[in-house]
Amino acid sequence: MAAPMAPSMVPKEEEPPAVDLANNEAASPADALYDKCAQRSQGTVFFQRDLSNMQVAETMAELTMLLQELCDRHLMKLMTFEGEPCWKLRSRAEADKLRRLTPDERLLYHHIDQVQAEGIWSKALRARTNVTQQVLTKCLKSLESKDLVQSVMSVKFPNRKMYLLKHLRPSEDIAGGPWQSEGDFDTALIETISQIVAQHIENETCIKVPGNWNDYERPDRTAEIAHKKAQVQGIRDIEDAPAVKPYQPPRDPNATKIVHRTSPQYPTSASVAEWLNSKEVLRGKTVREDDMEQLLEMMVLDGRLEKISGTNYRTVLTAVDTKVYNGFVDAPCGNCPVFDLCGDEGEISARTCVYFGQWLETTSEEV
Amino acid sequence: MSYNQRETPILAELCTFLVEDVYGELAARVYSVLARHGRQTLAAVAKASYLNSRQIKYGLVILLQQHLVFHSGNDSQPTYYEIDWQNSYALVRLGKVTKLVEDRFGRKAANVMTNLLRLGHTRIADLKEAYFPSETESDDDSDEDIKNGIGKKRKRGNGDTNQTAMTNGVTNGGDVKPVVNGDHAHTNGGPVGEPTQDDAEDDDGEIGSVEELYEVIERLIQKGWVRTMTESQYLSPGDMHDILQQETIDQDLGGQQPTGIKDKAICHRNTLERKRNMRDKWLEVPRFSRKRPADQDYSNPTKRMKVNGANGWSSTGGAAPEDKLVIRVNPEKIAVAMRTEQLVSLVEQRLGHVTAYIYRTMLQELEANTPRCYEEYPEPPTAGDEGGDNQIDPKNLVTARDVAKKINKNFDICEGLDPNAIVSITRKGHVRSSNVLSQPIDPSSLNTDEKTRIIDKHIQLLSEDPTHFVTWHSRAGYSQWHIEFPEIAKQLIQTEIENTVSARKGTLGVKLIRALRKKGKLDERATCNAMMMSAGDIRGIVNDLTVQGIVQTQEIPKVERREAKHSLHLIWYDRQRAREKLLHDTYKGMVRILQRIQFEREKVQPLLSKAERSDVVGNEEKWLSKGELDALRKWKEVQEKLSLQLFREDDLVATLRDFHGPLVSV
Repeated sequence: MAAPMAPSMVPKEEEPPAVDLANNEAASPADALYDKCAQRSQGTVFFQRDLSNMQVAETMAELTMLLQELCDRHLMKLMTFEGEPCWKLRSRAEADKLRRLTPDERLLYHHIDQVQAEGIWSKALRARTNVTQQVLTKCLKSLESKDLVQSVMSVKFPNRKMYLLKHLRPSEDIAGGPWQSEGDFDTALIETISQIVAQHIENETCIKVPGNWNDYERPDRTAEIAHKKAQVQGIRDIEDAPAVKPYQPPRDPNATKIVHRTSPQYPTSASVAEWLNSKEVLRGKTVREDDMEQLLEMMVLDGRLEKISGTNYRTVLTAVDTKVYNGFVDAPCGNCPVFDLCGDEGEISARTCVYFGQWLETTSEEV
Repeated sequence: MSYNQRETPILAELCTFLVEDVYGELAARVYSVLARHGRQTLAAVAKASYLNSRQIKYGLVILLQQHLVFHSGNDSQPTYYEIDWQNSYALVRLGKVTKLVEDRFGRKAANVMTNLLRLGHTRIADLKEAYFPSETESDDDSDEDIKNGIGKKRKRGNGDTNQTAMTNGVTNGGDVKPVVNGDHAHTNGGPVGEPTQDDAEDDDGEIGSVEELYEVIERLIQKGWVRTMTESQYLSPGDMHDILQQETIDQDLGGQQPTGIKDKAICHRNTLERKRNMRDKWLEVPRFSRKRPADQDYSNPTKRMKVNGANGWSSTGGAAPEDKLVIRVNPEKIAVAMRTEQLVSLVEQRLGHVTAYIYRTMLQELEANTPRCYEEYPEPPTAGDEGGDNQIDPKNLVTARDVAKKINKNFDICEGLDPNAIVSITRKGHVRSSNVLSQPIDPSSLNTDEKTRIIDKHIQLLSEDPTHFVTWHSRAGYSQWHIEFPEIAKQLIQTEIENTVSARKGTLGVKLIRALRKKGKLDERATCNAMMMSAGDIRGIVNDLTVQGIVQTQEIPKVERREAKHSLHLIWYDRQRAREKLLHDTYKGMVRILQRIQFEREKVQPLLSKAERSDVVGNEEKWLSKGELDALRKWKEVQEKLSLQLFREDDLVATLRDFHGPLVSV
């Protein structure tokens, strides 16, 4: 299992200057080892085996010494991987900064470094390091001013300040996904994006049909029969009045109606995320499938989308424009603020109800 | 029944109001005693009220006749009386039932149904007598009718029905919705489901002959709208349970009280089975002497004449064997029909009127085979018996072809579909880029096969909807479908709760309910995440919905001292609780409406009594001033508005209460 110090795979900010390679070759065996390591790709983790293979140190003891020296100069970082010691390079500039830290600062830096992208809460930091509050505040400030660490507001616990190394991007846990900014949901962004997504899904799953899409002749036989009868008999029998015609929707070409497509490709969170990323609506951010699923699920709750089978979404259509509630809430009682106080008699009752009065346009009993 | 039978004070109040409205003060007085005190003997009722025992008996007779109270049977012990809440509440549906029957079976059936509703249970002979009074009072023979006051009932019956029959189904109570429809369903695409021959020939709903009356009654019984009356229907659920359990113990367990778990399970299971059997027996169609299966009818055309002659079935009143049958309206069927109506209106809102019409056709096709909305006495599941009874009764399946055959020819079934789908079926022309057909298609010119396939498209829309209005079963008849009512009923309940929340709190409230329903119990942060909103925006809504009893809260302490700061505060949504709360509120709303009607009536009472004077009726213009006429019109408007709202609230009650049994947890 990963040791307390898991190797970080996050790219470093800058490479150690390779130009110095020739000059420094002879400088010291330690530098030589460092330079050899620096030639490998960034972020590589070196085990003892790798380092001895570089043939800088003659013996094991010498290698240990060299590594000790590099670690003291903060050019290397000692870690363990599955119980085995391993090392990782730090850039020279970073090492430089570290060398200038006070011991307290270094201690804090070390702990902050351990938690990587997850960040650490200042109180937890204090508990681990056992420094006083004043020292902690001072050191953190100076670390921040030296561009070594950054502080981020946690999404989980809005009142906690989390510290992590400057060059790391805060993890989802503390910073939230693309929908969040500064620890809170970015309502305006969510609204805009969900509108775009809703439109996209509507285009995919629905089709706009104009009112005159099927413009066949509509014969009106019943009316004709009644008409003929009236002509023959002279007067129209009340029984023969043309029956009310079946409801026929208007055929205005402008009156479009949206219906579900017959067999559409129902979008999934993956496909919508891909579409959104390809449109590059979110500048500089990519939306992962999880983020998109969160958004789509929220839109389902909102009643804008509905879920078809496990992972597919489509637009919710309503055939009628007017929203019908139910018998209870359409009556005054359903929305009454004093419903629970209303009794059979007394100051608040059906007889004295002002809401009934307004609704029926009648007068209620005065209390 | 035990669940529905649960009594709440507000329901008692509502039912007392309804009884008073429909059956007058005496019945209501007796009723309210039973409502307030619960199960009572006659003597106890007398003690609790200021009525003398003669008055109480008269009141009880009315209540028993209308099945508003149960009684505990005719054994030697004192008889106990208990209110049948279900049937009492059903009084508010009187007008609705007429309408439902009329849409399905025509006006004649509606006429018969109205009379049955007004009379309570009735012998067929009495019903006949009511429609076609005989000259002599000859019917003294059989008094094996259910024990209560048949003489009185007959008198009442005669008076009432004659009146209603004369006025042709126009209901005469001011509180019942007048029957002014009939054209409605037919025009909207023609009669659905049961295209009755009656529809074509009669529009006035007048029953012409005794024959016709019998025919209508038999049809209603066959379709399950009317059932035969037996004494066991008077047993309250508790009594019925006791009797049947005792029977089970005597017969299946050798008279030993069950002690072990196994015995108890057997006892429980067999008692439920007995309940089911008893109930199913009520619905058995009795043999009608006159009627034969249709094929016999054709093969032996003289038989009808013979039987007719022998029994002398003219209006002079010879007795057919079935005359002694006592029949009553089957309340469970009414709920089935109401469910159909509500599902159709929901589909209409979601998918448009064409698809809704097709759905209606499907539902009505199944209605005849659906005796009730949900099984009240379900077989308890046995261990290791999962999925054993997945077999669906073929009677509960409906195919696209069935629908295509039933559907009105002039109905534009192409509407509401993707034009591309139409073209792929008809293979004529193509769809232009503006989504207009290059060759318009007259729906009446389609052949059956094309129709079937177009209808199948509509049905697919139904099945794809998240509510899953239909479920695919097989490929018989182009495509065969069944309808999973229990799931849909739950969805209906959820929809109504959401509607209520949406009217009160807007979409945000609905979003909260849905989030909680999907995720279960949430603390504030998880709620925010699910809804993607900040806590401040949600808190207000959570508070309001909690106060209204729709959202529940829970506090779980994390440390031993229950400090608020160190506790988890969870909120969650329980559908069953929300359902019961809303049902309760709706009852209360109905009571308020009835009270308001009463109040409004009191205000115009002097005017009303003037308008009802025999010399004024018909000559209102002459005797009433303009102000009075206006006031009268206003009163009618107000009454209509309130009654309409009452019926709509009843729809809500049906959804919340009648379509599904109690929901177990989420």
